Amino acid sequence: MNVCFADLHVHTALSPCADAAMTPPVIVGAALIEGLAMIAVCDHNSARNVAAVQEAAGDHLVVLAGMEITTAEECHVVGLFPDAAAAEAAGAEVGASLGAIDDGYETFFGEQHVLDAAGLETGRETLELATATTLDVNAAVALVHRHGGVAVAAHIDRPSFGVIGQLGFFPAEAGFDAVEVSRHVAPGTAQEAEFAVYGLPVLHSSDAHYVSDVGAARTAVTCERPGFDELVLAVRGHEGRRVGDA
Amino acid sequence: MKLDDIARELGFTELTPEVPGARDTDIDRGYASDLLSDVLAHAPEGGLLVTLQVHLNVIAVASHAELAAVVFAGNRKPEDDVLAKAAAEGLALYSSPADTFDIAGRLYALGVKGTHA
Repeated sequence: MNVCFADLHVHTALSPCADAAMTPPVIVGAALIEGLAMIAVCDHNSARNVAAVQEAAGDHLVVLAGMEITTAEECHVVGLFPDAAAAEAAGAEVGASLGAIDDGYETFFGEQHVLDAAGLETGRETLELATATTLDVNAAVALVHRHGGVAVAAHIDRPSFGVIGQLGFFPAEAGFDAVEVSRHVAPGTAQEAEFAVYGLPVLHSSDAHYVSDVGAARTAVTCERPGFDELVLAVRGHEGRRVGDA
Repeated sequence: MKLDDIARELGFTELTPEVPGARDTDIDRGYASDLLSDVLAHAPEGGLLVTLQVHLNVIAVASHAELAAVVFAGNRKPEDDVLAKAAAEGLALYSSPADTFDIAGRLYALGVKGTHA
């Protein structure tokens, strides 16, 4: 069993609020410099840049296919999927409930760059990724599960867009597999313990929107090797695998 | 009623004094919501928004919906980067110790109506 470090919530320039410099090669380079073995690409309501980051990473870094769904209640739900195809299929379902951007959108919310592995723009996303979907929290978690994914309640320590901040309580019935805390909650602290009370593993993720954020929070994953299947087993605490410190 | 007069009458704290001309804006419509998607879809152009949300996206949403001002209820105040973004967009921000219900009621009494009035 090995311990590896993972930052399981990183945005690319596809997210309108993320820096345009968040291209596949830049993200991969930053993750390697930070000593990460695994990252997850989680753009808002889309997985269109996942495959490009995976291609840019090659064998140097494990890049999980993710997506950060904005629910109807404006809660953020991170889905981590077995592969890019599953994430893209989930993304297509999510995208079906988003409207098309209009003239002012890019000015006020930002540009949505679809990139190739070299970081070159191949197009712009024309759905409003910055807005809420029509899926409620339960439906978003169910959608992630239906596509074989792991559902994570994103940055639950934050007042904006976390499930607790938006709903006022943790929705135990939704069926989350893990909770995520932001870089403001350090591992091993009493504050972290507050978020362990739901009986779910606690992930530490950067929610990076800028290059300098990559790896600013990280989860220690004890497993055979970095990868989606091993992460799922670690989240479940299977045969000595685990997330976080003992 | 002019924004400046509303702010004075209701004791709002001005958070963006550098927004030129905003105080002379006439306000006759208001909206209260904490769901940004709802604000985007339904808030009246040129109106005033009362909300608890202080996230940066409030500014993007309010600008896109062409609102004139945002009042943060319950003494909430956004971070400096949010204030700077609002100033750049020409959006006036205020804070009030009152809750959303009280602010909306007092605005109504001053003649600021909802979208269905």
